[in-house]
Amino acid sequence: MRTEPAIQSTKGRDLMEPFIQVENLSYAYEEEGARRPVLRDLSFAVEKGEYVAILGHNGSGKSTLAKLLNLILTPDSGKIVIAGREITDPNLTEDELYEVRRRMGMVFQNPDNQLVATVVEEDVAFGPENLGVPSEEIRQRVDEALALVGMQKYARHEPHRLSGGQKQRIAIAGIIAMLPDCIIFDESTAMLDPMGRRDVLRIMDNLNRERGITVLTITHYMNEAARADRVLVLNDGELYMQGTPAEIFSHPDELAAIGLDVPQCTDLVHQLRAAGIAVEGDCLTPAQCADAICAACAARGIPFNPPQS
Amino acid sequence: MNTLQLEHISYLYSAGTPYEMRALDDVSLTIRGGTVTGLIGHTGSGKSTLVQLLNGLNRPTEGRVLMDGVDIWEKPKEIARLRYRVGLVMQYPEYQLFEETVRADIAYGPKNMGLSPEEVEARVLEAAAFAGISPEMLDQSPFDLSGGQKRRAAIAGIMAMRPEVLVLDEPAAGLDPQGRDEILGGIRAYREKSGSTVIIVSHSMEDMARYCDELIVMADAKLFMQGSCEEIFSHPEELAAVGLDVPQITRVAQLLRKRGLALPESIYTVEQAAAALRRLMGGEGK
Amino acid sequence: MSSITLGQYFPGNSLLHRLDPRFKIVLAILYITASFLCKNIWSFAALAISAVVLVLVSRIPVSIVLRGLRPILFIMLFTVVLNIFLTRGETLLVEFWVIRIYLEGILTAVSMVLRITVIIVGTGMFLTYTTTPIALTDGIERLLSPLKVFHLPVHEFAMMMTIALRFIPLLIEETEKIMAAQKARGADFSTGSLLQRAKALIPILVPLFVSAFRRADELAVAMECRCYRGGEGRTRMTVLHATAADWLMLAAVVLFGVSLVLINRFAPGFTL
Repeated sequence: MRTEPAIQSTKGRDLMEPFIQVENLSYAYEEEGARRPVLRDLSFAVEKGEYVAILGHNGSGKSTLAKLLNLILTPDSGKIVIAGREITDPNLTEDELYEVRRRMGMVFQNPDNQLVATVVEEDVAFGPENLGVPSEEIRQRVDEALALVGMQKYARHEPHRLSGGQKQRIAIAGIIAMLPDCIIFDESTAMLDPMGRRDVLRIMDNLNRERGITVLTITHYMNEAARADRVLVLNDGELYMQGTPAEIFSHPDELAAIGLDVPQCTDLVHQLRAAGIAVEGDCLTPAQCADAICAACAARGIPFNPPQS
Repeated sequence: MNTLQLEHISYLYSAGTPYEMRALDDVSLTIRGGTVTGLIGHTGSGKSTLVQLLNGLNRPTEGRVLMDGVDIWEKPKEIARLRYRVGLVMQYPEYQLFEETVRADIAYGPKNMGLSPEEVEARVLEAAAFAGISPEMLDQSPFDLSGGQKRRAAIAGIMAMRPEVLVLDEPAAGLDPQGRDEILGGIRAYREKSGSTVIIVSHSMEDMARYCDELIVMADAKLFMQGSCEEIFSHPEELAAVGLDVPQITRVAQLLRKRGLALPESIYTVEQAAAALRRLMGGEGK
Repeated sequence: MSSITLGQYFPGNSLLHRLDPRFKIVLAILYITASFLCKNIWSFAALAISAVVLVLVSRIPVSIVLRGLRPILFIMLFTVVLNIFLTRGETLLVEFWVIRIYLEGILTAVSMVLRITVIIVGTGMFLTYTTTPIALTDGIERLLSPLKVFHLPVHEFAMMMTIALRFIPLLIEETEKIMAAQKARGADFSTGSLLQRAKALIPILVPLFVSAFRRADELAVAMECRCYRGGEGRTRMTVLHATAADWLMLAAVVLFGVSLVLINRFAPGFTL
């Protein structure tokens, strides 16, 4: 009988220093002899257990940043520290490199291109197998990871026959089974339908809130960014803004200038404010928005006639 | 003009094998000429099959597809000609680019139509303008463009055939807000200039609300609802039951109505909501 | 929506389905070898019965097994015709114009057909019908793993097979999509001269290659992110354990081979 789950919550440990610290990071692609800078002198920090959204238009350097954080790419200059270890240290050993990749799991956009095996559970086992985890423990981790994403029923299925959302959940399970401290979602909802997207977002929230996994999510959907604790906005490889979603989305013009927009709720409140109607509060979700507008209406003495039910 | 009619359409995949699957089940509907119609439905609802029936890539197992009253399969040998009249932009069309230059790629369709070189060139330039492809880009390799530019070049390749009906399957999927607005804006420009009918498949209810006159809702291989945005988005429970949603702004308006504010039922864009609230709350102006 | 299943795997839970894939590969080889030991009509009869028994044990519908034989029907027919008309023997049965049919020819033809059928059915029952491609790959990797001592890339080969199995259905689907998309632009793949048709393939092949390379690239990155570093230090979730059933089946097939030799030796019958 097993005594404790293989996948444990990591919330509340070493809160002394930021989990991820990026300092003066620069990176350029080599393209036909010319160097095209993608990231320029980027600095930021992420706390352990934080939920951070990264916004920016296509080509703003978001995906490159993700690949630098787990050393798929090596920066030209600057420093990345993860859990107290400088991973940009030239003396980093191979074992340390793989330890970084284990800690910093990545889920990509196209679920088809990240599944390796032709049976769901074999695919989830791929990461732990690479790490040399003993067989019985892999079995336990795979079962738990599949349960976490609600895909136990499909353990023996072929990924090929699953929907996009289901495949993406398998991909997430494959990362969870490596017991990461942080998961980077690189536009992981972009190819999904609304149902698949809802499932994946719920899993992301759950991993962060219940299991204390640090979540970095790269997205084009403002509503998804609104769920985060903090938002980083990149523009042409530079940090353009950072703050809580409410702070970020209170700058619609600055966002529009770099090809982004704000959630519809926030947009509505901005339009009302522009028309001289004072609406207080953050208004990132329909409920918040309705509350704020009702408060403003009450202040103006507008009659409420709730429908009889 | 450019009216498409579906009469009792059914479509079976792998008919007669153990994998037989009914993708469409007795679907009848009319898409009026000159409108922008949105097609929504969960994955596997039959949207993509329906779209491929409209331009004759799929032949219905049962039923007829009529273009301006004529059965498109009346002369099966001439189905290729129909594909020029009903242009289909498939999902992620940038993955179909193959030529050495953007110009040559856009010209592929018009050339297949057998047009003169001058006519082909004129159409390439016209389509490129609609899709926001600059003249310098035309001589570049399509593989050197950015994601959004590739998508626009691929859409230009269909526009260059000057279809009377332009069908687009998820034209804005995976693009950032600006890329999305550029594509949807280009489609609108094409329609205004050509007077063609436009059919858009999308998962984004917000985009649908902004760009479409009429909506078709598919669920489980059947036609679930058809009507104006106003009509469709006033049924949030029914939409949720088939895995769909209403625009976020419509949900705000519903919440406000539930609390007792006198707002109209027909709110599905931010502009409508702001206007209605300004009327209600009496904006003071700046 | 295409429903392509690679190979002929037929889902089930029979004794043959449950055997260890390593054993199944060995069993298939032994069984095919045994089929070549048959020398007279009685040993051939035993072989035919064994094939029927295998089909029954696998619980795979006979119609499915027969369908699997269809592709080799022509080869069998060819063998029969060749043997009947060209074999010269002692017992002349028919003589007509230049055609001479001997009893030996007929017997050789029958034995050849039986042998081909048994080889197909045997490999089918032990391998393709009852073993998933992934289990088969796994079995091959583990059977060959002693060769790693000689620096043969056994793990890499198996990984290549696995990835191919995973991506072939995807690429077939992708080809269909690209074809549909180019048809929507007026492409014509079915008429014209040979050269024209070859040229018409360019709009399919270029996007297909681009896409295959993109997928390969993304997959490589995803594998690296999941700490893949080759076969070294890798463990497996499923450890193959040989069960009593595996050993019993092995013993049964070996005994079967031995009994065939004994039948040849001691049972009187037409020697072929």
